Amino acid sequence: MFVLFCPHCGEKREEEEFGYGGEAFIPRPATPEALDDEAWGDYLFMRKNPKGWHWEMWSHNTGCRKFFVVKRNTATNAIAGSWTLAEGRKAYDAEGGST
Amino acid sequence: MSEPTMRSPLHSFGLSEQAKPIDGSCGVWANELRHLGYISLRGNGADPAFATAASTAIGVSLPLRPCTFASSNGKTILWLSPDEWMIVCPRAQLSALLGSLRQALTDVRSQVVDNSGGYTQVIIEGRNALDVLQHVSVYDFASMEPGRVVGTTFGKSSVYAFRQGNGYRLVLRRSFADYIWRYLVRAAIPYGLGIADLAGSPLPEEGVPI
Ligand SMILES: [Zn+2]
Repeated sequence: MFVLFCPHCGEKREEEEFGYGGEAFIPRPATPEALDDEAWGDYLFMRKNPKGWHWEMWSHNTGCRKFFVVKRNTATNAIAGSWTLAEGRKAYDAEGGST
Repeated sequence: MSEPTMRSPLHSFGLSEQAKPIDGSCGVWANELRHLGYISLRGNGADPAFATAASTAIGVSLPLRPCTFASSNGKTILWLSPDEWMIVCPRAQLSALLGSLRQALTDVRSQVVDNSGGYTQVIIEGRNALDVLQHVSVYDFASMEPGRVVGTTFGKSSVYAFRQGNGYRLVLRRSFADYIWRYLVRAAIPYGLGIADLAGSPLPEEGVPI
């Protein structure tokens, strides 16, 4: 169990209030019909799944019901921060879009 | 086809018949505030045209700070998210308020929906009301300041909770009302639960046409 800061509610809340939304900032292919099965399968199913820092989405299910971005260490559950999707995108890009 | 009538989701508990005067015998006092009006309002709170038009139509300033609510003339506006509010009002004011909101927001990107059939409210007070809430939710109600509203867990369900007067108000979905009421009753066993008339004014009768 850990505590997450919801950037919309402006408060730290218990993990139980949230739902996990998976890896953040997966770009949707611009021309899905042009992709072969392997590339489409990559987009749908393949994730970075790192041991360490991970940019991920959470949704505040019982509260504002909005998605936001968290940078969490999957090995230690340390949390570097949480942002709205727009602000998180800037922070993610500033890091070079890596995990 | 018979005409639809109003029926509280907690009607089977017969709460109004059990109401007794508050005394020292119970640590927790509770009841349902049945048949209130609930309006879901959506729009961009950062857009002054939306906030001003909505505030004027309701007669209460739209709370723009996260997790706060505003109350006046029997109407309460709960902040639910940066673009969503819930307006709670007496049933008798519902249709007039819906009309004035829709008219005021005609040219503003927004949504006004009557959700009155989907929610009910429970009021809980008494010296152990806080203890009960601490049992049933992960939110730290002991640190809740007046004027705050939070959406949080209640057992395996969720509620919007805020402090008003001497107690707490819980806004809950109709479909979870039975579960939440039973959970509340069970959590209050160590302290004694009394059913009291906490509304302060008469509520609409059960079984009248909508
Ligand atoms: Zn939130």
